[in-house]
Amino acid sequence: MYIHSSSFDLQGERKSMYKQSENSFFKCGEKTSPISVILVTSGSRGNKLLFRYPFQRVADCTSSLTTKQRSPYALNTTGDVLEDPDGDSREQTPLTDEQLVAGFSDIILATILATKSDMCGKKFELKIDNVRFVGHPTLLQHPHTIQVSKTDPSPKREMPTMILFSVVFALRANADPSVISCMHNLSRRIAIALQHEERRCQYLTREAKLMLAMQDEVTNMTETDGSPQSPFRQILPKCKLARDLKEAYDRFVKTPYKIMYLWIVSLFLQCRCNNRVCCVSSLCTTGVVRLHINNWLEVSFCLPHKIHRVGGNHVPPEALERSLKAIRPYHALLLLDSEKALLAQLPLDCSPALVRLIKTCSAVKNLQQLAQDADLNLLQIFQIAAHLVYWGKAIIVYPLCENNVYMLSPHANISLYSPLAEGFGQQFPSHDLPSMLAKFSLPLSLSEFRNPLDASVQEAQLIQMVVWMLQRRLLIQLHTYVCLLVPPSEEEPGLLRDEELPLVARVGGRSLSTPSALSFGSPTSSDDMTLTSPSMDNSSAELLPGGDSPLNRRMTETLLASLTEHERQVILNIPAAQSPEDLRMFARLLHYFRGHHHLEEIMYNENMRRSQLKTLFDKFRSVLVVTNHEDPVISLFQSPLG
Amino acid sequence: MGMSRIECIFFSEFHPTLGPKITYQVPEEYISRELFDTVQNKLITVYVHLDNYIISLLMDQTAMEKKLIGCPVCIEHKKYSRNALLFNLGLVCDARTKTCALELIVKKLSGYLTTLELESGFISNEESKQKLLPIMSTLLEELNATGACTLPIDESNTINLKLIEQRRDPLIVQEYDVPVFTQCKDHFIKSQWDLTTQQILAYIDGFRHIQKISAEADVELNLVRIAVQNLLYYGVVTLVSIFQYSNVYCTTPKVQSLIDDRSIQAECLSYVTKQGQKRACLRDVFQLYCGLTPGTTVRDLCSRYSQQVQRVDERRLIQYGLMKALIRRLQKYPVKVTRDERSRPPRLYTGCHSYDEICCKTGMSYKELDERLENDPNIIVCWK
Repeated sequence: MYIHSSSFDLQGERKSMYKQSENSFFKCGEKTSPISVILVTSGSRGNKLLFRYPFQRVADCTSSLTTKQRSPYALNTTGDVLEDPDGDSREQTPLTDEQLVAGFSDIILATILATKSDMCGKKFELKIDNVRFVGHPTLLQHPHTIQVSKTDPSPKREMPTMILFSVVFALRANADPSVISCMHNLSRRIAIALQHEERRCQYLTREAKLMLAMQDEVTNMTETDGSPQSPFRQILPKCKLARDLKEAYDRFVKTPYKIMYLWIVSLFLQCRCNNRVCCVSSLCTTGVVRLHINNWLEVSFCLPHKIHRVGGNHVPPEALERSLKAIRPYHALLLLDSEKALLAQLPLDCSPALVRLIKTCSAVKNLQQLAQDADLNLLQIFQIAAHLVYWGKAIIVYPLCENNVYMLSPHANISLYSPLAEGFGQQFPSHDLPSMLAKFSLPLSLSEFRNPLDASVQEAQLIQMVVWMLQRRLLIQLHTYVCLLVPPSEEEPGLLRDEELPLVARVGGRSLSTPSALSFGSPTSSDDMTLTSPSMDNSSAELLPGGDSPLNRRMTETLLASLTEHERQVILNIPAAQSPEDLRMFARLLHYFRGHHHLEEIMYNENMRRSQLKTLFDKFRSVLVVTNHEDPVISLFQSPLG
Repeated sequence: MGMSRIECIFFSEFHPTLGPKITYQVPEEYISRELFDTVQNKLITVYVHLDNYIISLLMDQTAMEKKLIGCPVCIEHKKYSRNALLFNLGLVCDARTKTCALELIVKKLSGYLTTLELESGFISNEESKQKLLPIMSTLLEELNATGACTLPIDESNTINLKLIEQRRDPLIVQEYDVPVFTQCKDHFIKSQWDLTTQQILAYIDGFRHIQKISAEADVELNLVRIAVQNLLYYGVVTLVSIFQYSNVYCTTPKVQSLIDDRSIQAECLSYVTKQGQKRACLRDVFQLYCGLTPGTTVRDLCSRYSQQVQRVDERRLIQYGLMKALIRRLQKYPVKVTRDERSRPPRLYTGCHSYDEICCKTGMSYKELDERLENDPNIIVCWK
């Protein structure tokens, strides 16, 4: 792992996180990284390949096509692990990334990658054997009026027009679909920026001209001295940009390809980059790109699958999106970096709301409180939170409180020699990580964790330790879920008839307010953002305090009507059911008792206290089954098991 | 095999006078002229630019929400009017289809056509070329229906095609893993498998671990691992951990599927019920699973829920829970924290090796290891 050595140690702590999964990183890196980046254009002078990186080796140019002739029955053994049922062909050395694209000459690439104009503005995906090309062909509207400038003496018809262009990434064919769509997204963003710059100051035309001129020169030279050479290689001594590229290549030759190529793109597109080293190193560790096209437009991009990693597993972007949609107002945002470090990373023109949120954010505040404190509306908070999570700057947790129960994540790295343990030792001298983790071998609530050491100074430190461990995804939080399961009657034990169970289906079908139907926390769409209390429908029962009024009784009966006769009988026979108040509360919460809502959610939705609920569970324990596990909504950030 | 449905098969060629065109397609009129125009330079003309080398390219083109898979062929010979015969037999499928399996089919087909052309001029002869249309219809029909197709063309050539399902890489099988059949063992056709697999088959019972299987079946350990990995690849077995009454498990969010998913419910209940007993009830089984908390051993569970466990085989209960990831095992990881510089660094007690692994490697029993570690004040045990 070269990227972890010497010069890239800007983000020491983060680096240490990733070291734990070096092997998987590389294995994955192969599949997720682009193997080449290509710029093609199509215009009045036909299809042109303006630039490609890496350059072709001379030897490859001549031999690659002949080596391509092989048995049509030959299996693709080049890294296509999917087609390799039992590992027999593993010994064969797979083609390197470089060899994969080298077989395609510039002309072929120009022909196959430059599309017709009716395919512009759409995703372009072409797979040739083991290489998949992903791009976003973009039309350049060419207002001729711009070109006819009064000061420009050259006649208009000599100007070659560029009709469309495309920045194409070559990936391994077996790359994950989400990776493909990410690379497409990057291509599209660069395209939009280039399109804008072209319109503003014809940046692309200018650059294209320079590159074509260089290529022509080299071709002429090759013709005279007869030795075939890659034009891009010959450009080297003549062009500052090329020297930059070479220097970059020599310096970072051993970094994973992805970083190299994105780095090259950034160099190529901006020519002058103010903070190069910084850009590359952050890319190494975080998978984030930020380029300034023509020193003017910023193109930011991140590969979420590179950022979010738990125990060596990459979190697929679509799973991340699913989790982001399920965020609720009672969740909290846990920043993964210090406030200062985060603020320093923000672009100059970022939204002030983002700054305000970062400044007010705390692991003990839920999003609703955060909205109040930062004076932003909840929707905005959701959006910013989702944004920060997507960019790997924060994760979603349940706000820290005394009753939270934590245990070791199955993916936690408890190795004695891990950089994590080192980092912990530096952060909290006089404590060592393994013994701290050992405390969470059994589920431990924060209040229990605190108890043995009483002084309040240490208490703050202990909380910091828990936050530290949560940030590094070493702990998972356990939640209590409740499920209504009535013991079967004697006559029909065991077997469940069709009309019996699933309570879910029956209760869900009713007009009862089902909390899951209230998509409370969907940060992505504003229309289904219902901010009404989930208990609205049935909170009327609460409005009449105490009293065993007929109305109350009827309400209870209605609520219990969703149960089968047998279930109702068993519930009504429980001693606690004799108290109308208890029974009413039980009936009111009935729809939460199917294991989909944890205790904290019920507390939040119904505005109840923990002790109230616990007492109720206890009173009705003969029909309820209580279980503890992590919250599937946010467990993605802690232990992506399934 | 509905997983990769072929929507259309087409045959396109570079006509000496008319240029690129689609000669045949099944069903007819599936690919419109416009769609063809957009993609034709990808599907037909590419190889003209490859200086007439014979090249087979596989491509799929996401256009109009469809994927086109083709493998253009260029056969160079003086007898052809442009000194070369250019053709391409391709498939169209939905854009979301995983095309890996189909690509292999296309590639193989192009190989067949090349052979046919070289041997008998099958494609350049207008008369025999007409035979392509019925061939294509048969291919489309049979591949979609059965995922396989055997089609004799002439006395020496038969097209044999089969869609091969793409599977994920299997995990590496460790000596302390326990293989367990995902389906009833009776469905397993023994003769289809290799000799090693056949030999270890009887010992795969969901309780013996790899090392034990190796010892009892008298097969070398690594051979067992490879054989089991192969079974794992085909989804015949899955891996669980060694069962002991001192084991500790905890529930995962997936335990909820026992309530929500009726098929899992039914499967689970029949799986865990003791033989010869009346079927266990859901409530009991769910309670048992939920009773698995950190700190509770299986032994504790059995005594705590003695009534519920009456009709339930606890070993199969745990086995099923692990197979479906309703529960997960909490493993013990000893870590030796020593401040002593002189002592040599621990080899196994680094936090990377579980009790199972250490016991398998050293041959110690769980109890022996426990006793040894309890006496060492420098050892910390983490459960995860």
